[in-house]
Amino acid sequence: MHSQTRTGSIAKKGWLALLLSGLSLNASAEQKSVTLMLDWFVNPNHGPIVIAQEKGYFNDQGLNVVIQEPADPSMPAKLVAANKIDLAISYQTSLTIDVAENLPLIRASTLIATPLNTLMVLDNGKIHSLADLKGKKIGIAIAGNEEATVGTMLESAGITFDDVEIINVGWALSSSLASGKVDAIWGGLRNFESNQLAIEGYKAKAFYPEEHGVPSYDELIVVANANHYDADAIRRFNKAIEKATIYIINHPQDAWIEFAAYSPDTLNNELNKRAWRDTLTRFDLRPAAVDLERYDQFTQFLYKNKIIRSKPKASDFVPTL
Amino acid sequence: MLEINVLDATTEAHIAKKKKTIHPLLQGLLTACLLFGLWQLIVVVFAFPPFILPSPHAVMMKLILRIDVLLFHTWITTQEIVLGLILGLTMGLFFALQMLLFEPLKRWLLPILIASQAIPVFAIAPILMLWLGYGIASKVVMAALIIFFPVTTCCYDGLRSTPSGYIDLAKTMSASKWQTLRHIRLPAALPALASGIRVAVVVAPIGAVVGEWVGSSAGLGYLMLQANARMMIDEMFAALFILALFSITLYFITDRLLKRAIHWQL
Repeated sequence: MHSQTRTGSIAKKGWLALLLSGLSLNASAEQKSVTLMLDWFVNPNHGPIVIAQEKGYFNDQGLNVVIQEPADPSMPAKLVAANKIDLAISYQTSLTIDVAENLPLIRASTLIATPLNTLMVLDNGKIHSLADLKGKKIGIAIAGNEEATVGTMLESAGITFDDVEIINVGWALSSSLASGKVDAIWGGLRNFESNQLAIEGYKAKAFYPEEHGVPSYDELIVVANANHYDADAIRRFNKAIEKATIYIINHPQDAWIEFAAYSPDTLNNELNKRAWRDTLTRFDLRPAAVDLERYDQFTQFLYKNKIIRSKPKASDFVPTL
Repeated sequence: MLEINVLDATTEAHIAKKKKTIHPLLQGLLTACLLFGLWQLIVVVFAFPPFILPSPHAVMMKLILRIDVLLFHTWITTQEIVLGLILGLTMGLFFALQMLLFEPLKRWLLPILIASQAIPVFAIAPILMLWLGYGIASKVVMAALIIFFPVTTCCYDGLRSTPSGYIDLAKTMSASKWQTLRHIRLPAALPALASGIRVAVVVAPIGAVVGEWVGSSAGLGYLMLQANARMMIDEMFAALFILALFSITLYFITDRLLKRAIHWQL
């Protein structure tokens, strides 16, 4: 008798569990699951994504965004091209190179629509202008576009890419500059490395590519697979990102607190706080907006400088969704 | 009956030996063909796009078209590997001898030796770059560091495990410590040291390439990073192919030289 009651109650619980799981299945069926891989460990450049996640903007759009972090920024776009993940953070420079090499990728949205990269030197009176870099060492974290970008900047000052020594310093950009092992670095971001150096007690001076002959480009974009993208999901994704960006601009201080709370151990520190302040003006207010001519101009720039061997048309890889 | 059996066995052994010695080159060629065939098969069966796994044909074409660039970078990496090997072997031999001759020193040196192997080279590489600069020195040290442990332990084990009969003989003949080392211990340790050297020539390229990966302006590691950034995965594989070929060649040359130099086995 006793055991029968127990069995009955277990059966009841079983039904309840089944009912609940059915309900949750129903709920998740409405939510579209999207995997998004960042380009690097989470940092202030990813502000709109983190805020959209934290404040539930993705959820409001019926999206369940799973954020992943790689340790190699060249991987995420390849994974999207291989259709292993849905979306990845990339750069316009890399996307153009990838598409020119026939990777099936499209630009889905823009997070930061201006260059962040700089040619950075220490502000110690040794290098006043780009021309002073003649015969000097420039440290880079190989991204494949250096001959075009750095080369054009140097040419704007009357020297060439061959007049300097290019050294791959991997991810030790700030330390290689601070230690004097190189005289300048390319790949240091104006919102990040300059603050990092300042915290370490070094004053940095930046030369901006867009002011020295390099056409302006989107620093941070989101890419999707050209053959398998879900236009509707991307539209909803962009709506959430736009809402998050506006929130950040309107409430920078609150947004910082919410951003830092995403991963307090790694984000809540002085460097990120300063970088956040400097990134605020850089977020793209219209992440879905498309400017084909600007993309074509940059492709032409890379082609002219022999970085790419074919010239993909922007209308093919920057669709209006 | 027994005689016939023995005869059979020797004939078989003879034939087997003859078979083996007939075509070692052909054997290598066959292995290469088999590997390339398998590679092509994987590309075709799994329909990998070229940015995931390029076909052997594409890689070979790159190898031919960009041979000048590839050879230039190979030459840089070769220098790093060879100098790294010389430094690593010298250091290993020196450490092993110190540990054998000065027993108390062993307790101090052993943790350093183990630490040299326990610290991941990838973690220490960026720091080494800042200490030694982005030139050849940092790569040589990386290559030396990665072979230091196998060379030292093999050499030390060899030196320690001299058959006691030989040591007794040396004592009986009232040989000095130096004479025992020079004529007994060192020759007896050489086969063990040779094993260490064989391991070293294969792993030294890893050290050099890791060094190039984190800081360099030339070399196969640098070329691979460039190719990867420009999505020229076939070129990256071409560089990898050269590196593998280089390691294999270096191994067989070393093996041949060692066999010729150390014709005795204990």
